Amino acid sequence: MAKSSLSLPRIIVQDMWSHKWLLLLSFVVFANAVAVVYTSYVSRQLTTKWDQQLQQRDKLDIEWRNLLLEEQSLADSSRITRIATKELDMTRPLPSEEVVVKIP
Amino acid sequence: MSKKQAKVIKKPQLIQWRLKVVIGFILFLFSALVVRAAYIQVVEPDKLRHESDMRTLRTTSNQVQRGLITDRNGDMLAVSVPVKAVWADPKEVHKFDGFKDMRRWKALADVLHEPEQTLLDRVKDPKKRYVYLKRQVTPAVAEYIRQLKIPGIRLKDESRRYYPAGEITAQLIGLTNIDDVGIEGIEKNYNDWLTGTPTKQKVRKSRDGHVVERLSTVQQGEKPNDLVLSIDQRIQQLAYREIKKATELNQAAWGSIVVLDVHTGEVLAMATSPSYNPNSREHLQSFRMRNRAITDSFEPGSTIKPFVVASALQDGYAKADEIISTSPGWMRVGGRQVRDSHNNGNLSLAKILAKSSNVGISKLSLSMPVEKLLDKYYSLGLGNYTGIDLPGEAPGMIRESHRWSDFERATLSFGYGLTANTLQLARMYATLGNGGKLLPVSILKLTKPPEGTQVFSPKVAKDVMYMLQGVTEAGGTARQAHINGYPVAGKTGTSRKAVAGGYGDDYVSLFAGVAPVNNPRLAIAVVVNAPEGDRYYGGVVSGPVFAKVMSGALQLLNVEPISKAEQVKLAAMERSFD
Repeated sequence: MAKSSLSLPRIIVQDMWSHKWLLLLSFVVFANAVAVVYTSYVSRQLTTKWDQQLQQRDKLDIEWRNLLLEEQSLADSSRITRIATKELDMTRPLPSEEVVVKIP
Repeated sequence: MSKKQAKVIKKPQLIQWRLKVVIGFILFLFSALVVRAAYIQVVEPDKLRHESDMRTLRTTSNQVQRGLITDRNGDMLAVSVPVKAVWADPKEVHKFDGFKDMRRWKALADVLHEPEQTLLDRVKDPKKRYVYLKRQVTPAVAEYIRQLKIPGIRLKDESRRYYPAGEITAQLIGLTNIDDVGIEGIEKNYNDWLTGTPTKQKVRKSRDGHVVERLSTVQQGEKPNDLVLSIDQRIQQLAYREIKKATELNQAAWGSIVVLDVHTGEVLAMATSPSYNPNSREHLQSFRMRNRAITDSFEPGSTIKPFVVASALQDGYAKADEIISTSPGWMRVGGRQVRDSHNNGNLSLAKILAKSSNVGISKLSLSMPVEKLLDKYYSLGLGNYTGIDLPGEAPGMIRESHRWSDFERATLSFGYGLTANTLQLARMYATLGNGGKLLPVSILKLTKPPEGTQVFSPKVAKDVMYMLQGVTEAGGTARQAHINGYPVAGKTGTSRKAVAGGYGDDYVSLFAGVAPVNNPRLAIAVVVNAPEGDRYYGGVVSGPVFAKVMSGALQLLNVEPISKAEQVKLAAMERSFD
């Protein structure tokens, strides 16, 4: 029978060592597989984020349009004229009273 | 022996068949799994793929709003805002027992401002699959309806067009219909430019509705374009207010006004009264939707006279200091009579224009071949499209004839026998202001001035403008159009409206002009059609509109009022023609 010189772990290690390249390759394959899974996970998350940003953009665009309308009605020149003349007692000078200052 | 034999330790022995059974069983299980996996993945993968796709693949499309229309300074004239349409699938309503909770229908009816019964009637027929309940509801109302959770009631994206300027630009900008298609005005002519198409994309969605993968673009959308008009909203507003006032004050059928930039041919304002509110369409009357500044033509009457003078000067049939006798205030031409309001005696060309003498201008016209005059009329754009990109332009016409009687030649010189629209009239005066160069008109903001054609020499155009100053001064026909600070070269016109078989009792009151004479910037034409009452003369009805809009617009554009020194110089130039 075999003696203690032949221990099982030792044989295993020796065997692995003799196939070290194969072992390395299999490890790389495994790592690769994990990386693929991880990358696709990250890419999905980014896509989701992208989509949310696009939705955000649409929402802001809608808000912008409504604000435009509001600005337009507030800045309406007939409204400003009315406020200026009625509430602030301002008048427009006649052309003959006007002095145009030219900036050289 | 037997005892000894019994003492022999039995070696443990493998029961081979058991082992085989177990191994065989395990191998069978594994191979079954492998076969199943291979079957699913290799032999028939499509079915499961299909099942998966059914649950995750979606086609999304983004909502595209119609392009904005702005004026030259970026003021909004038309804005689209997303809204929702509420629609029902009656089949689904019936299938999922939609009428179980009538309180929800009551709430729906209340928020849509419709009688409950009307809504219920619409979804009565379970065979129908698509019924609109209400269109263009605001996002807030839509959210409320969504939360009512009535089975079979759905929301759809659509958009609503708002016109912040309302009636001021109504005819010019036009309208879109409920499906966002332009049906009038600029909205119609630039429909393709303003309309975008949505991009449709195939995406994969996760269980909670997030997009996790973008697969392909089903349909590449097109971005809508914005439109920048040449209109200056401030001037437009002023112009509309004044023309509206004048139309109402004189109880006229309609009035229109056009403001042109003389150096670029851009339309700074184009307004028509009566107008309508494009934001509320319940009481729309089609006659209010006409953009009268281009769709309606009229005989230009006396407003044509400066161009007769200019033609005579240009072709050498008259000198700038010509004196023409208009005594005794009328003359006989080919058996008919041409008359002035009273006897003006001997008149210079400037005075003929200032007094608007028909006799004087007829004599001038008769002194030149009719072809020369007609040729000038045509080269001023009369009887032809102005090239403005708006629907429904009526270019007017010039009477064609092989033989012109003297009387016809005379009437041609005071604006009868030809028709023009308001824009054409303004364009002709812009030509005077632009040194005799006729420019194409544009409703879009231009980046560089367009190519023009020289109709009159700059000298002739200037001279005629100096002469026209007399019209708005003491002794002229339109003191009302005088502006303090900006010298005006303008002309009144009052033409009788032609009816079947002759001329009727209705008038068209006109005023057109350029200002300031020393540094022309704007040309304005004002037309008031069929004013009621005694005040129908162009100077009285249209003159004040011209003065108010012109002085206001020049102030808005920061045009320098004339200095004292320049005023003296101008007056001297004007006197030199007397």
